Amino acid sequence: MAKKEIRSEITGSVWKILKRAGDPVEEEDSLMILESMKMEIPVLAEAKGKVAEIRVQENDPVAEGAVLAVLEV
Amino acid sequence: MTWKAEADEIAARRAFAHGLGGAEAVDKHHAQGRLSVRERIAGLCDPSSFQEVGTLTGKGAYVEGKLAKVTPAPYVMGLAKIDGRPVAVGGEDFTVRGGTSWGSDRRKGGQGGFVEDLAHEYRIPLVNLIDGAGGTVTSALRRGYTVFPGVHGFERSVELMSEVPVVCAVMGTAAGGPAGRAILAHWSVMVKGTSQVFAAGPPVVERSLGQKIDKEALGGAAVAVDMAGTIDNAAESESGCFAMIRRYLSYMPQNVWELPPVVGTDDDPDRREEALLSIVPRERRQPYNMRKLVSLVADRDSLFEIQPTFGRALITTLARMNGKVVGIIANNPMVNGGAMDVKAARKQTHFITLCDTFHIPIVFLVDVPGFMVGLQAEQAATLREGMRSVYTALQATVPMLTVVIRKCYGMAGMAATDKNGLDFKIAWPSAEWGSLPVEGGAAAAFRREIESAADPKQRLAEIEAELRALASPFLTAEAFAVEEVIDPRETRAYLCRFIDAMQGRLATSVGIKRRAGVPP
Repeated sequence: MAKKEIRSEITGSVWKILKRAGDPVEEEDSLMILESMKMEIPVLAEAKGKVAEIRVQENDPVAEGAVLAVLEV
Repeated sequence: MTWKAEADEIAARRAFAHGLGGAEAVDKHHAQGRLSVRERIAGLCDPSSFQEVGTLTGKGAYVEGKLAKVTPAPYVMGLAKIDGRPVAVGGEDFTVRGGTSWGSDRRKGGQGGFVEDLAHEYRIPLVNLIDGAGGTVTSALRRGYTVFPGVHGFERSVELMSEVPVVCAVMGTAAGGPAGRAILAHWSVMVKGTSQVFAAGPPVVERSLGQKIDKEALGGAAVAVDMAGTIDNAAESESGCFAMIRRYLSYMPQNVWELPPVVGTDDDPDRREEALLSIVPRERRQPYNMRKLVSLVADRDSLFEIQPTFGRALITTLARMNGKVVGIIANNPMVNGGAMDVKAARKQTHFITLCDTFHIPIVFLVDVPGFMVGLQAEQAATLREGMRSVYTALQATVPMLTVVIRKCYGMAGMAATDKNGLDFKIAWPSAEWGSLPVEGGAAAAFRREIESAADPKQRLAEIEAELRALASPFLTAEAFAVEEVIDPRETRAYLCRFIDAMQGRLATSVGIKRRAGVPP
């Protein structure tokens, strides 16, 4: 099993976390929703697998490029 | 009595040219995952179409008056064809002196030189395959003096930017002059992993700043393309790079006195895509896939995105509508909610100028809440770069069509309209516009009223609801302040009719685009 880091493509804040560590995910499943410029930006699983780690909490500010979650794929 | 002996000598001298810097140097070059300049030209151009110019240039070595060897000049160039159309093509030969400049009466190419003169005189596109490190201090030892910067200047290279399509492909490590040359292009590309570009490479950086950094970290595609936008696109391999160059040129006319080629298409201009009716979520905080939207509207498989990884709040793509080339500029709500940041503004300015220069009509698919706001945005001079984009749009004379998909606010919204032309704006039912969005805008404009209300929050909500009721695009359409509101499924057909109709107008306005004034 390879680890895959999911990074934020934008600067914003974490609005809602939808998946927890251990949850299975399909490709394109939303892991969480960020808020940036009044828009809800879904963070998608880039591959099918399992959530190994969620690195942020709701309301955390996130910078572009920050690691949000780690998947086992 | 014939000239057979001389004909044989020509063949022998050509063999030296084809030997490049010798088998060992070529093997070393191949081992680094790079093709030789001759392989590159062959890979890029139509089979057997390359007619070399200056095959015999180089430094001859003679033994007792007889030719022993020629070390070829480190630049190969000539006339060739791409998809049946003539192009001027040239590139440094890294296997000879690392592709560094070589003293001769007349340059072959690289910075000015015959190949650039050829593109200028024959009004044909120029493709530069760049693989050189630029000047070398050793030339001072050879000459006995140091040359003034610009002895081989960029005059012709700059002139070409208003005349013919110029493509620069960075195929190796480019520093100094060759790196600068790469920027003077309508479109530039580099190869991931095997090419880097910078003003100066790691040794100079370490000596100047004490920074230890390797060349990939300093000027690989992750920096030069994704982060800085110094180079427009990145290719996965050299052969992928050649395919991209051919594709790019397929959208371009041969020169600014012609229009881009029209291709036949079996894609129905009246095609209605049901998916367009639901692609924009009714919840206005939810973004959607603008790339998909663009691909549903344009001719099937006709998109060629310029700078896909830089300034991602904006999508700029060449495309075709009913076989005619168009430039599509679309805001991307997935990044910054589509707000125009400094990178997106720079990208839009460049793309408008590119389309205007080659008489390619522009289609704006608008979903922009405005210029990016906040401290970082102000520190980056978003306002100035954004206004440069407005200025450029107002000076462009190529026809533009505006389709408002969702938000169209403020100066960034104005930058997406044809104010000096037909000012033709089509809206989807999801469209909303104004000088600024109701949220934020209402709080600022009615601050006193809100603060003095018994329940400020409730008063703000009331005012916002009142303003939003007026924001229906149908009310603006009744006043003919937007020219049409359309069913999203009609977008392709509507645009295709007007793009077809403007072809005659485009043909009457060819030639060099003059631009006046001082862009902000």
